[in-house]
Amino acid sequence: MKRIVINPQACNGCGICQLVCSACKAGQWHPAFSRIKIKQMREYNINVPVVCQHCSQPPCETFCVMNLIYQEPLEGYVLRREERCIGCRACEIACPFSAAVFDPIKEAVVSCDLCGGNPACVSNCPEGALFYMDEEQTADSKRRQTSRLKLIPSSAAGLSRRASL
Amino acid sequence: MKDYPGKILEIDLSHRSISLKDIEAEMLKQYLGGIGFNARILYDQIPAGADPLGEDNVLAFAAGTLVGTPFPTASRTEASAKSPLSGQFGTSNSGAFFGLQMKTAGYDVILVKGQSSDPVYIAVEDDKIQILDAAFLWGRECWETVDILEQKHYGAEIALIGPAGENLVRFASIENGRYDGWGRSGLGAVMGSKKLKAITIKGSRGRKVHNHTDLLDASRKGQQLIKSASSYMAFTEYGTLNASITYGKNKAISAHNFTLGTLPNWKEIGGRQIVDKYGSRHVACQSCIIACGHWAEIKEGKYAGVKVKDLEITPVMSFGATVGLGTEAIIKASELCQRYGVDMVSAGGVLGFAIELFQKGILSQEEVGYELDFGDDEAAFKLLEQIVNRKGIGDLLAEGTKRAAEQIEQGERYAIHIKGMEIPMIDPRGRWSTWTLGMLTNIRGGDHLRCRNPVENLRYNDRDEDYMKERFGFKQSMYDRLDMPEEQKSKAINLENDTVDIPEMSKWAEDLINLFNSVGICIRPPVMEKVGPGIIAEAVRAYIGLDITPAELAQSSERAWNLIKLFNLREGEEADASKFPRRFYEEEIDGEKLDESKIQAVLERYYQVRGWDSQSGRPEAQTLRRLNLMWASSETRDSDEENCD
Repeated sequence: MKRIVINPQACNGCGICQLVCSACKAGQWHPAFSRIKIKQMREYNINVPVVCQHCSQPPCETFCVMNLIYQEPLEGYVLRREERCIGCRACEIACPFSAAVFDPIKEAVVSCDLCGGNPACVSNCPEGALFYMDEEQTADSKRRQTSRLKLIPSSAAGLSRRASL
Repeated sequence: MKDYPGKILEIDLSHRSISLKDIEAEMLKQYLGGIGFNARILYDQIPAGADPLGEDNVLAFAAGTLVGTPFPTASRTEASAKSPLSGQFGTSNSGAFFGLQMKTAGYDVILVKGQSSDPVYIAVEDDKIQILDAAFLWGRECWETVDILEQKHYGAEIALIGPAGENLVRFASIENGRYDGWGRSGLGAVMGSKKLKAITIKGSRGRKVHNHTDLLDASRKGQQLIKSASSYMAFTEYGTLNASITYGKNKAISAHNFTLGTLPNWKEIGGRQIVDKYGSRHVACQSCIIACGHWAEIKEGKYAGVKVKDLEITPVMSFGATVGLGTEAIIKASELCQRYGVDMVSAGGVLGFAIELFQKGILSQEEVGYELDFGDDEAAFKLLEQIVNRKGIGDLLAEGTKRAAEQIEQGERYAIHIKGMEIPMIDPRGRWSTWTLGMLTNIRGGDHLRCRNPVENLRYNDRDEDYMKERFGFKQSMYDRLDMPEEQKSKAINLENDTVDIPEMSKWAEDLINLFNSVGICIRPPVMEKVGPGIIAEAVRAYIGLDITPAELAQSSERAWNLIKLFNLREGEEADASKFPRRFYEEEIDGEKLDESKIQAVLERYYQVRGWDSQSGRPEAQTLRRLNLMWASSETRDSDEENCD
């Protein structure tokens, strides 16, 4: 069960992931078509990339009146049959991350499909803010990081913005 | 290549008319984009001798060719017009996200002509272009205006002016959103004279890409190149502030209006450790992998609550060194400049000039109304406010140091400018290099950003007797990896003597920076060190399918540089204007002063290298023929003859 994991500490907001995503998925070079979106939180001085989390109980699935959203049985990816979407955008509202994106050319709501297992945003992120890893692995590296924090003072832990997850 | 999607959007504010023009393939190949387009268009459209603040001046925004791609640092947009400060080609470059929106709305160039009688702003959303009433925005400071316009035009990028631009302060800037801006050359005053408060732009269409895979490959290659640069890690951590202590040590900062060379506590005021103290997070422009900007916040004390994207060398030098303020006051000063919409370098220069006049007793307390002293932040901010609103003595100072000095008796000695533009931060008496020669040869006046040695070695500061050389000081591998034609490389760098030939390197550096400004990438040192015409040609080929060789790229940027020179000559640039202020030749700092005749010799060598007349600095006929600029030369001659008549 691999997911896109985000390290907002490392994101500098350059927007390369957005351009690459829009190019790969929509053939357009424009952030509006991107399925990953960087939110600049000026009040907290932080940039947070937001992307579909592939929830195990996806609210978007419940809300789709056309029943187009389904969970892929093997990996649990949340996918959609875009070609039949009526564009009511209910899933966009239902999603707690607002990770569903309306594509004005297809007139359909789309979301991250992890590029079939090799996400372009992750491979093109120059800052190491995006990872494609197993949920177990994510939890483990977080634990590792926390243990390091508990052991030594934060300044010595070398937790610069380049610290990997 | 037949149907290049970029358009030229022409907005005439006098007649309230809007027109669209295609960009011809020939123009694309010869001028690329960005400053190249601006040079070509403004040379045609601004009549000789036009009043910079009059109806004839044309303001042009041009996004670089590669903007809108993930090519590293491709985010820059060039704004140009005839400068009210220097009376010559005024131009300035800014990053952030404005260029991306321009490109995706379908425009490569936006031209604003004529003058409106009432305050207006232009709202562009793809094909919908509106000229709207801006009475409710006029008089508001920049951040407030951005807040209002962001609500009205969700998701749009905004170029705007603040009170300084409205009041035609000659060094007003155009702000690019809240924190960035087209600072130098006083373009804000041009916008103010057109009664244009803002341009909001939002695009929703992607550009067609010639070859997706090649473009991604070129971008990734570019990223790897930049990441392998020797200065990359330092720049991602501390941004431009890296050089500040070195220049302080070399006694080459603009301390107290270029009188001291350095300040005793410079390390605490302007060293890069202030990033650790006040900075919190790195911020990038579109597609940038360096992210040299920082969010800065002052948590306690007099200026508690100030929050800006800052900690760059420019405000630190112009307010910390020239005006002598402390670190927190510097951050506050850059907030004020962003809110007023005023160029930080010129603002610092004018404040330093006024304070020195006051100290020397040339400006009296009656004239100013209060006491001025280096390091007094409250007085400095009061004076800045007066300048921006043109109140009291501020009205005179708002004309810039050159014009103010002409009005003040004995003032000229203390006015530090070249061709009317205030000199930024570095003092050539302390460190002579390609960079400092660049201030004389710069096409926009006394400025440091159009010429910089891509392999500048700040560790060394030994002056060659004839000013022709600086130390190279790197290993052979650095030399080998430079993206530069071999012939040019061997002329500019002498490995045996370990020196860089300043005139040769100046030409290359200026053309390289002009190329960067044409294709819209950034001139931060890691990029300058590694990226050259080779990789740019690859990216341009993949993006727009333009078949162009690295040599042709280099030539097209040289062409634009020469055309701008012709523009300046047409506006009456004189050969002896390329001189440092008298102070640099006459007053010593740490036993060093400049030798006028030797600098003249360097300048003459530079003219020869460029193929210009070594006395007058006018491009020779054969240079123009080589660059395909003969059409411009005959025009220049005609207008000269008219002037003689």
